[in-house]
Amino acid sequence: MVLELQKPRPIWQIMFSTHHTDVGLMYIITSVAFLFMGGVLALLIRAELFFPGSQIIADSMTFNRIFTVHGTTMIFLFLLPFAAGVGNYFVPIMIRYKDMAYPKLNAIAFWMIPPAATLIWLGFADFTWYATPPYSIISAPGPAADMWIFGLKILGVSSVLGAINFIVTILKCKHPDMSIGQVPLLAWSFLTSSLIVLVAIPTFAAALLMLLTDRLGVSGFFNPAKGGDPIAYQHLFWFTFHPEVYVLVIPAIGMMYEIIPRFSRKPIFSHSSGIFAFVLLSMVSFSSWAHHMYATGMSFTEKTVFMIGTLAAVPASAMHVFNFIATMWNGRIKFATPMMWAVGGIALFFSAGAGGVVNAAMPLDFQTHDSYWVVGHFHLFVMGTIAFGSIGFLYFMFPYVTGRMYNERMGQAHFVLSFVGTVLVFFTQHVLGLYGMPRRVFDYPPIPEWIAMNQIATVGSMVIGVGMAIFLINMIYSAGKGKISDTDDPFNLGGKYYWPYEAKNPHH
Amino acid sequence: MKSIIGLFLVLAILVIIPIVDYAFAAGDEPGHYVDRRVVIWNLFYRMMTVAFTVGAVVSGTIIWLCWRFRESHPKATPTPYEKEGVW
Repeated sequence: MVLELQKPRPIWQIMFSTHHTDVGLMYIITSVAFLFMGGVLALLIRAELFFPGSQIIADSMTFNRIFTVHGTTMIFLFLLPFAAGVGNYFVPIMIRYKDMAYPKLNAIAFWMIPPAATLIWLGFADFTWYATPPYSIISAPGPAADMWIFGLKILGVSSVLGAINFIVTILKCKHPDMSIGQVPLLAWSFLTSSLIVLVAIPTFAAALLMLLTDRLGVSGFFNPAKGGDPIAYQHLFWFTFHPEVYVLVIPAIGMMYEIIPRFSRKPIFSHSSGIFAFVLLSMVSFSSWAHHMYATGMSFTEKTVFMIGTLAAVPASAMHVFNFIATMWNGRIKFATPMMWAVGGIALFFSAGAGGVVNAAMPLDFQTHDSYWVVGHFHLFVMGTIAFGSIGFLYFMFPYVTGRMYNERMGQAHFVLSFVGTVLVFFTQHVLGLYGMPRRVFDYPPIPEWIAMNQIATVGSMVIGVGMAIFLINMIYSAGKGKISDTDDPFNLGGKYYWPYEAKNPHH
Repeated sequence: MKSIIGLFLVLAILVIIPIVDYAFAAGDEPGHYVDRRVVIWNLFYRMMTVAFTVGAVVSGTIIWLCWRFRESHPKATPTPYEKEGVW
């Protein structure tokens, strides 16, 4: 393992490096920076909704800009790059190869993120992270929307380059002694999610081009005034972005597969069923996109097909949860910070999944469509599962990367505050949706139940914010002045994990 | 592995066939609209019942697991893999 902070190098050496650990760390640090930037926007949104009427944001346009950039930042600039960073850092180590298959391509994929992020943040578009037409074509203001489109275009190319690199690295560069079935589940998670990216992203790339030409007035694919169909955009968008949910969640589950056996002091219950569930999830991810569109006038048969396609994700997800439970069973579990995040993530994964199953039923979907139920549901997935798995893994890898230990109490406080805050915000938003509050609103009528639940959600978001501040302090302080850790066994668990693969590999 | 796939296929068939049966039995004709609503809500309530029941069992199991198999539990013993030193 590379102990980055114990062997300091000039910053330019790291920036222009193509080594997978350097590129991985740059991905991770950049993505965590965007987590905080997106988080600040989330706090602004919640502060605005604490009371009906205008509080701190001047007008609805500014509010729309804030939640558009919040969503875009969290999905494309935090979660995806974080997963790519973890994959870059660990996949070559796990498959025992000196680097990624195409190191320069890898560095190029990373360096596409800063210009794309600059376009998105300088533009500050207002048409939601869906860029939903016809608004995005007809009314969305000036360069902001075009900058968002170009930013997303660049990020799409970056994702595809990264995906090709992962697939080739895992399939072609793994050690000859290692069969594909022996490849660790974290690496398998990157293989399956990369395959999804490769199939899904080109559709959205095409949709973005069509959106841009529609905005320029030279086509009318999604413009009803020119005979186009905005619903067609929704199909193209969701064909990419429903599978994209799995692109985010599969690596997070892979990270939990690293943490749970280690802290349970047992091997994974079933390695092969984990692989099977990843492959199954990646396939069924393409069978459910139109469940986002039940309310758009689809036929009953189409809706039924997509309802069943959505439910098909349940067995694979259940296999992972069963695998985690069976791994912990009869273990001797150490509840250090990474394990707390992983177990919390499983519990919230199950809650989010159960909500999704219920929501997949058409009658309830009509009730909850575009309500705060949907906001609560996908945030429970994105924050409760994906971010929990990711942050847990960040604590897990911290001593291996820095050679120093983070502050355990601060890590546990961060977990408790985040878990409580997540439950307060996103469970409450489910109920708020059932009470009829629409999503994406700048203001709302002073209905007592709506006010009370919005206030609970806002308090919850502040609790998460305090936790994140503790996290930031912990990471910065511990990276420089934390206790020196034993890199063979930093968590005092005994035994040897398979990290020391690099002992057999002179390149690490 | 084969037994897992076999078990999965059997379970999938058992779950999917009744759902497809209900959905297509409802048909698309306007005259069957009310029947279809009844069938869908029926399905929804059954899904809710299953989701909450399974949710309670799984959540309860996770909470119990965390309590019983924590390393500070009085009955906690080293796992067989700890003696071998690799897992």
